[in-house]
Amino acid sequence: MRAWLGHRVEGLPVAAIAALGIALAVYPLVATLPFWRHVVIMSMLYGAMGVAWNILGGLAGQVSFGHALYFGVGAYAAAYCYKVLGLAPLVSIPIALAVSCVAAVLVGLPTFRLRGHYFVLASVFIMEGIHIVVSNWDRFGAAIGLEYPVYKAKGFADALWHGQFQDKLPYYYLAFLLLGLALVVFRAIQRSPFGMFLVAIREEQDAAQSLGVNVARCKLYALVASAAITTLCGTFYAQYVLYVEPSSTMSLVISLEICFIAILGGIGTLWGPVLGAFVIVPVTELLRAYLSGRIALDMSALADGGIAAWLEYYARGGGGNLDILAYGLMIMLIARFQPAGVLGFLRRID
Amino acid sequence: MSGAEPLLRIEALEVVYGDFQVLWGVSLQVRAGEVVCLLGPNGAGKSTIMNATTALVPRHAGRVSFRGEDLAGIPTHGLVARGLAHVLERRRLFPTLTVRQNLLLGGFNPAARAHRSESLVWVESVLPFLVERKDQLAGTLSGGEQQMVAIARGLMARPSLLMIDEPFLGLSPRVIDEILAIVERINRQGVAVLFTEQNVQLALSISKRGYLLESGRILLEGSGREMLEHETVRKVYLGL
Repeated sequence: MRAWLGHRVEGLPVAAIAALGIALAVYPLVATLPFWRHVVIMSMLYGAMGVAWNILGGLAGQVSFGHALYFGVGAYAAAYCYKVLGLAPLVSIPIALAVSCVAAVLVGLPTFRLRGHYFVLASVFIMEGIHIVVSNWDRFGAAIGLEYPVYKAKGFADALWHGQFQDKLPYYYLAFLLLGLALVVFRAIQRSPFGMFLVAIREEQDAAQSLGVNVARCKLYALVASAAITTLCGTFYAQYVLYVEPSSTMSLVISLEICFIAILGGIGTLWGPVLGAFVIVPVTELLRAYLSGRIALDMSALADGGIAAWLEYYARGGGGNLDILAYGLMIMLIARFQPAGVLGFLRRID
Repeated sequence: MSGAEPLLRIEALEVVYGDFQVLWGVSLQVRAGEVVCLLGPNGAGKSTIMNATTALVPRHAGRVSFRGEDLAGIPTHGLVARGLAHVLERRRLFPTLTVRQNLLLGGFNPAARAHRSESLVWVESVLPFLVERKDQLAGTLSGGEQQMVAIARGLMARPSLLMIDEPFLGLSPRVIDEILAIVERINRQGVAVLFTEQNVQLALSISKRGYLLESGRILLEGSGREMLEHETVRKVYLGL
């Protein structure tokens, strides 16, 4: 038993993983304020997406700036199925996964023929294209999006069936499960021959090919696996906020947040994205809560005042986007001082 | 037609990069169990012949067949299961994987998978240093060791023909001797070898036959002795 607890999973002893898992499971029972639960729910959600992104971006080395597409597919499928078709999440999830699978294949087949930076560009263009289409498609609420009809559940089972809870606690544990699922899938892939093929493709694509690795197929499978988990996160998100709109589900900002979490946490590693999410998401959520909600001054009044007035405006706590500014600063600091990610920083201390 | 069908037969191969034609009607063949070298200066098209054979670059014209099968339309990843292994120029190991993982990746194609553990034992008996270094990251090996791992990784596919692109590039004389010995050992096990090299004397010391390539055309072909005694080779390549 003791030997087993000391066994390390990518540098982290099983005992420590268990302790962290238990701490995370007990946390919402201690932190009863909805906001503090929300912060960790979002951290776990983004952690799961970072881990999913890492299958394609970290193992196979195919950097996608378009993962919000799959997040959006999940969110929109859940919202549309519930609001328009009257389908419960249990039914809409397989539909969402099927749509996302088809989307991943349609994106992957042409773009994986491209090498290097071109795949990155293609992933952005496809996502932005679909973002524009959805923003103008009345069936999906166009730019306004889809709002869930709020359902008053009769008991827990009923709430679960409708995927709507009054309390944040069930959402918390669902996000917890999502993160666990993402980690298990990543680890399983990482340890399998398939995972080794992906690393081989990342490091020397031609050599992998001449050793018999079907490069196009492996990349496609990696994308489908990655997209499927991201889509699950999207359906969760829709059921959680009960409102989907294009810019908060399918935009470049979301795509970048997903991949920054993986890259800044530690690309290609199991724990990196989780660590990245638990550093970046709480900081941005806190900044958003404490800074961006403050007095929104009329920016036009500042036009005459010049830079001094602008600085004073920010110093007084105004400014709608200070959280994004801080986010950028954090990214610059990590990139400057620890290019291997937050995980690399901890390793150095170790 | 006399004799058995050659292992590899390349006929009138032409390769074009954009507007620039690299190979002009190259024909060559490798028979089972032979060691054949492709000679020629930098830019003559030696690597291109290999890369076009394994479909890493598209063939513009010509026909390539392996064990009598036309390779048209067969993708790169489908060749190794047919017994054609290609060790790329500059070794191309997977640097963050261990030596053992690099080797195993050579044995995952459908034909070799079933014998993977036997292949590993065989390859490690041909190149014993692989066992000592099995847990070392491939990127941390010396150039010569990396070349040996690259050759061993190619052997993991149990090929009947091993193509090695520039096996001696950038290696010290002592390591070159080691690689030469390894190639001979591999060949004694019945594996045909086709390799590229610029040093004529070195290449012909282990080859049964050779082809001399210049500006994308085969200039000469013959047995090792014929080549070494040929006037052009003596004048241009040996400076005699």
